[in-house]
Amino acid sequence: MTAGVVGTPAALHRRSGSAAPGPGFLARPRALWHRRRAVALLVTRDLKVRYASSALGYLWSVLEPLMLAGIYWFVFTQVFTRTVGAEPYLVFLLAGLLPWTWFQGAVVDAARALHTEAKLVRSTNVPREVWVVRVVLSKGVEFLLSLPVLLLFALLYRAPVDGHLLLLVPAAVLMAVLTLGAGLLLAPLVVLVRDLERVVRIALRLGFYASPVIFAVRDVPAPFDTVFALNPLSGILELCRAGFFPGAVQWAHVGLSATVSITLLLVGWTVFARLERTVLKEI
Amino acid sequence: MGAPTDRAVISVRDAGVRFHRGRRHRSLRDLLVRGESGPRRDGFWALHEVSFDIAPGETIGVVGRNGQGKSTLLKLIAGVMLPDRGSVTVRGGVAPLIEITGGFAGDLTVRENIALTGGLHGMSRAALRDRFDEIVDFAEIEDFLDTPYKHLSSGMKVRVAFAVVSRLEEPVILVDEVLAVGDRDFRRKCHARMDQLTAEGRTLFLVSHSEWDLRRFCRRGLYLRGGRLVADGPMDDVLAEYAAESETNAPGG
Repeated sequence: MTAGVVGTPAALHRRSGSAAPGPGFLARPRALWHRRRAVALLVTRDLKVRYASSALGYLWSVLEPLMLAGIYWFVFTQVFTRTVGAEPYLVFLLAGLLPWTWFQGAVVDAARALHTEAKLVRSTNVPREVWVVRVVLSKGVEFLLSLPVLLLFALLYRAPVDGHLLLLVPAAVLMAVLTLGAGLLLAPLVVLVRDLERVVRIALRLGFYASPVIFAVRDVPAPFDTVFALNPLSGILELCRAGFFPGAVQWAHVGLSATVSITLLLVGWTVFARLERTVLKEI
Repeated sequence: MGAPTDRAVISVRDAGVRFHRGRRHRSLRDLLVRGESGPRRDGFWALHEVSFDIAPGETIGVVGRNGQGKSTLLKLIAGVMLPDRGSVTVRGGVAPLIEITGGFAGDLTVRENIALTGGLHGMSRAALRDRFDEIVDFAEIEDFLDTPYKHLSSGMKVRVAFAVVSRLEEPVILVDEVLAVGDRDFRRKCHARMDQLTAEGRTLFLVSHSEWDLRRFCRRGLYLRGGRLVADGPMDDVLAEYAAESETNAPGG
């Protein structure tokens, strides 16, 4: 075949029936990067819908984590005597609930992304990963926009804010990698096996308590703490708390979190590429 | 047939697409372990061993009865479906006028939809700014620019969609039955636009049941039957063959 030799490589679109995902593992990320404007467009559209269409706009995106934080604060400091987490507990809660909101929202929406956008997927030739990446980034931007609320509460409660606050950057990167991996894995599977969407919701509900959101990993007693140490969210949440709670980070957790996240991304992307052909027929 | 020529803008080699009858949901194990390779008993080939090369500027009409693979072929070329066998190579981008209103979001206004669809199909911001007025004029939609897309009549929806997609600077244009919608005036405008595009040297791929359209726009014809390419030649000859076969095989679907 001489087809690949002529013309600019970027403009040549070759699709073949072999199971191999094209020339080189980087072909798909490169194609995605090439169409980054489509991603930017969709993310902007999501944010516009989120913040411009309703009067409460911004408040909506922080209301749920704020309410949850309030409830947990009430239950664990007023009803029970709190022995977990760290002081100030409300800041501890928010620093866990805001990233959790991103994680949960991104995984739920990404899992059904190909299904909800079926019409666009069927009529637009953009790399199909776009539909998942768009969800992860939209939710990520919402997370970033909610950070001032966290800082506000940290100031109100006089939490010791220091330079470790910068660890929010690697935390956000890891979270993006993790949710992208989960989304790429789930999105094609949900199209083919519809009831998986429900499984995802239940798993997330359980996952909330299997993640150190309302408590820290060190609060978990012996046999169970392994589960939490293996949870990729542990490292990420610790990085989010590092700026307010000195000594919150256990680097072993962060290392594990990075390993799991990157592995999941590779697995997810492989499954996505492998199922793409089938998904396009079923959609 | 043979190797694809260097000049081909579209090169289809032994392309096959296999669909499954029924059994939409399958087991996770099947999917993860075996992928989508290996033939299945309950499947059928919507497209089978189709090969052809299209040179830049050619105008191709695709004929065949319903369900014989015409739309599947267009989807392969548009890149919104992938072949199970063989390969489809397209040099440059494709402006797909297929499932035409599908890419529009009902909740967004016409203005936002034009920007979104243009962008998703690869139109740059500058190009969009330049062509926005032209698109609005063509679609005759200036009074409804800030109306949500879902409130438009179906004719208006098609007009907007055609106006945007036909403004894409892509070397290949795919047109699937959109001309059947819309009133006579708009159809005339679409025809003029297609004439203009082919005169500029774009490659046109037209699926239609209108012999008149096919004869007017296409010089080369492809005839699909049962997913196979049974004729490839001058449009008039292909139409004659299609008509002859349609008469011998009494209508049934």
